[in-house]
Amino acid sequence: MVLINLTGIQPTGYTVLVDEIAPKEGENVAVPLTRLLEEDEAFFATAGSIGVIVDTETSFDVLASVVEKIAFAVIDFPGFADGRGFSLAVRLRKDFSFKGEIRATGPVIPDQALFLLRAGFDTVETVEERKSAFEAALERFPAYYQTDFGGQTSVAHARHSAEGQRKAS
Amino acid sequence: MAKKITGPQLVLANRLDDGRAVFLTAAGNWSNKVADAAVAANEEELSALMAIAQSAEVANLVVSVTPVAADTAGNTVAPAHIKFAMQARGPSVRSDLGYQVSPNWEQ
Amino acid sequence: MYAYDAYDHAIVNARVAEFRDQVERRMSGELTEEEFRPLRLMNGLYLQLHAYMLRVAIPYGTLSADQMRKLAHIARRYDKGYGHFTTRQNIQYNWPKLSETPDILQELADVEMHAIQTSGNVIRNVTTDQFAGATADEVADPRPYAELIRQWSSFHPEFSFLPRKFKIAITGAREDRAAIKWHDIGLVVKENDAGEIGFEVLAGGGMGRTPVIAKTVRDFLPVKDLLSYLEAMLRVYNEQGRRDNKYKARIKILVEAMGIEEYARQVEEEWVKIKHTPIDVPAEEVARIKAFFAPPPLAVLSEDVPEVDALADKNFIFKSWLHNNTGRHKVPGYVNVTISLKPHGGIPGDATDGQMDLVATLADTYSQSEIRVSHEQNLILPHVARKDLPLLWAELDAAGLGTPNAGLLTDIIACPGLDYCSLANTRSIPIAQTITERFDDMKRLMDIGPLKIKISGCINSCGHHHAGHIGILGVDRRGEENYQLLLGGSGAEDASKAAILGPGFDEHGIVDAVEKVVAVYLGEREDGEEFLAAYRRLGADVFKEAVYGTD
Repeated sequence: MVLINLTGIQPTGYTVLVDEIAPKEGENVAVPLTRLLEEDEAFFATAGSIGVIVDTETSFDVLASVVEKIAFAVIDFPGFADGRGFSLAVRLRKDFSFKGEIRATGPVIPDQALFLLRAGFDTVETVEERKSAFEAALERFPAYYQTDFGGQTSVAHARHSAEGQRKAS
Repeated sequence: MAKKITGPQLVLANRLDDGRAVFLTAAGNWSNKVADAAVAANEEELSALMAIAQSAEVANLVVSVTPVAADTAGNTVAPAHIKFAMQARGPSVRSDLGYQVSPNWEQ
Repeated sequence: MYAYDAYDHAIVNARVAEFRDQVERRMSGELTEEEFRPLRLMNGLYLQLHAYMLRVAIPYGTLSADQMRKLAHIARRYDKGYGHFTTRQNIQYNWPKLSETPDILQELADVEMHAIQTSGNVIRNVTTDQFAGATADEVADPRPYAELIRQWSSFHPEFSFLPRKFKIAITGAREDRAAIKWHDIGLVVKENDAGEIGFEVLAGGGMGRTPVIAKTVRDFLPVKDLLSYLEAMLRVYNEQGRRDNKYKARIKILVEAMGIEEYARQVEEEWVKIKHTPIDVPAEEVARIKAFFAPPPLAVLSEDVPEVDALADKNFIFKSWLHNNTGRHKVPGYVNVTISLKPHGGIPGDATDGQMDLVATLADTYSQSEIRVSHEQNLILPHVARKDLPLLWAELDAAGLGTPNAGLLTDIIACPGLDYCSLANTRSIPIAQTITERFDDMKRLMDIGPLKIKISGCINSCGHHHAGHIGILGVDRRGEENYQLLLGGSGAEDASKAAILGPGFDEHGIVDAVEKVVAVYLGEREDGEEFLAAYRRLGADVFKEAVYGTD
C-alpha cells in the first residue's frame, strides 16, 4: 500500500489496534469506533495520537461523541461508490471544524481524488499501481462550482471577486 | 461448478470498442453472425465456452458476457429469448439498421 | 440563453480531457469494466443491446439553433443519422463507438454542451417547463434557478456517489408541464405575500416499481437559500438512503419510511447548521445568470391575423395544428409552437439529422434562434409571431414535422424499450406505432380531445406509464411480451398514479383495449369533459367491463 497525500499535510504514522491489544506508551494508534467508545481515561492517557476508524455505515451522531478526543480519522470505504464516506468527512470539517488528518481507506479509485480532497480528506491509502493515476487526477480541474473543504472557492463567488472577473473574461 | 441448464446455450457479448453484439464461435473467436455461434449442449460444454468468453473479457475484447438459451430448431441457431434475439437482429423498428440488414452489417 | 464564461469553458473542457483519459485507460485495460462503468455512466454513456448509447444533456431543455445544428452534425458524423429526444429533455445517440465518444464530447463542448451527469447515481439534468420564459401563465422564468442548480450540482464533491440517481424539476408556471410531483425534488417558483420570489419545495416523488407522488417539505424558500436547502436535503438522503437494494434506494423510499414530517425536520435541522455558509450564492451571481434569460425584445403585434384565420378555415389540418400545437405567449401577437416528433406510425421522439438542421434554420428565422425540448419528447419554437404561422407550418409539414397532434391521443410518450434498451422487458415503440396508425384520423382525434398515453417497456418507467391518462407497461410473461393497461394517471398539477385495470394483453390486444377504453369515454362523457375528468368521475369499473367483459 502507498499513501497519497492530497493536501500536503504531515501524515500520521500509526498502528491499527486490533482486538484487545493495549497501546504502548506514547504510541500513535487508530482504533475502531466501537472500541473507542468503550475506552477509559487510562487508554487516552497512555496512547500518543489517537485516531478513529469508521466505516461508512457509521452514523455521524455516534462519531460526533468522540470527535473531541481524536487527532485523526480513518474513513473506510467498503466500495468506492459508497458516498456516505464523503458526508462523514464533510460533517467532521463543517460541524466540528475538525483540523486533524482525515484518511480514506478501502477501494477508492483515482478518479475520485478530487472529490475526496474537496470533501475534506487529506490522505488516501491505496495500492501502489494506482499512485500515478491518483496524482494525475488531482491536477485535472482548473475551477469548481462549489466552495469546498480543499480550500477552493466556488466559481459563483470567484466570478465576482476582482481577480475572478479578470479570469472570467 | 457448471451452471445448470435446461437446453442448448450460446454465449453472447458486446465488443468493447463499438459495443456491437457478438457471438462466441467454436474456434474461440467472436463473430457478428449468430450462425457462427458455438452451441453448448450441456453444462460442461457451456463451462468451457464461458471460460473462453471470460478470458476474452479479461483481455478487454468484449464486455457483458452472457450465456443465453439457444433455439436450434431447423438447422439454424438463434437466441431463444426475444431480448437476445433482438441483439442478433437489430431494432425491430429500424429494419435499415443492424444485422437484419446483412449479417456483415458494417463489418 | 445562458452563455459560458471562461470558467464554464475550462470546466467542461477539463471534463472532456478527463473522459478521454478514462476511455484510454479502459481500452488499454488499466480500468476494468466494473471500475469504468460508473465513470462512463456519470458521463451519460451506457452499453445497450446493439451498441453504446450516449445521452447528451440539454440543460432544462433549452437549445440554441447552433447547438441543434451540432446535434445534427453528431448524428450524421458519429451515429446513424438520427437522435432520440427523451422524457428528461435530453437527446440520446444509439450507435456511438466508445473510442469516438471523447471526440463527440469535444464537439459538444465547442457549442457549450456536455453529457455531464446524464446518468449514474448523481444529480441529473434539471428539467423544467418547455415554455419557460415564454408562457403567459408564469410567475417567473425558472431557468436561471435551473442553471444555478446545474452549476452547483456538477461534480459535487459530496453528492457524486449517491444511493441512486436524483432528479430535480422546477416550474414557474401555474400549469405543471414539468411533472414536478414525480421527481426526487420538485420546485415551484412562487411569490409570497411580500412580493418576493421563492420556491415551494417538494420531495420524494418518483416512478419505477414504487410510484410515489412528491409531498411538500417547505411552503416557501427564499431564492438566496436555494442551494443551502438543497444541500441539506441531499445530505440527509446521502447518509440515510438505502444502499442495500437498488430498488429501494431512491429518496421516495426514505421519505415514505421516515415520513415527510420527519424528513422535513431533519432537513431543517441540518439547514440551520449550514445556512449562510459559503454556499449562498452572491446576489450578483443570481443577477448575472438572470440577465442571460432576459425576455427577447418582441414588439407587440395584433392577435388578429386574417391570413391565419383564412388558412384555418379552408385547411382542417392547419386548423388542428393551430389549435393543438400553438400556445399562448406572454407577448400579444406571438405563440409557442410545438413541433410534434410523433408522426403517426413513427418512432416517438426520434429526429433525423436533416430534421434537426431544418428546425435550427426555422429557429433562426422564426423564433429568435431558440429551441426547447419538452419532456413529452417534442420540440418547441418559442416566440413565434402569429403572422408567420402559415409559412412555418408549411415548412414543417413538408419535412414530416407538421403532425397536428400535440396533447392528443397520438402524442405518445414511449421509452426506447427492447428495440434498444438492455433493461427492457418488452418493446414500446411498436405499440406506439400501432396505436397511432389505428387512430390516424385527425377528425376522430380532435373529437377525443386531450388524452395522454405513456408507454414503458419495463417497470423502470422511463415511459412514465404511472402518469399516463392511459398507461401501458410491458412485462415479460414467460419469455413473451405482455402489456398491462393502466388508467387515471396524471403528471400535471393534479398528479395521480394510474391504476392497473386488469390482466395484460399481447401486442395486438393492448391496442384493442385502448380503443375500447376510448369508446367508453366517448359514450359516457359529459359536455366538454376531458378523458381524465371522465375517468375520475366514472371510476374504473365501467372501463373494466368494456375491456374484459362482465364476468
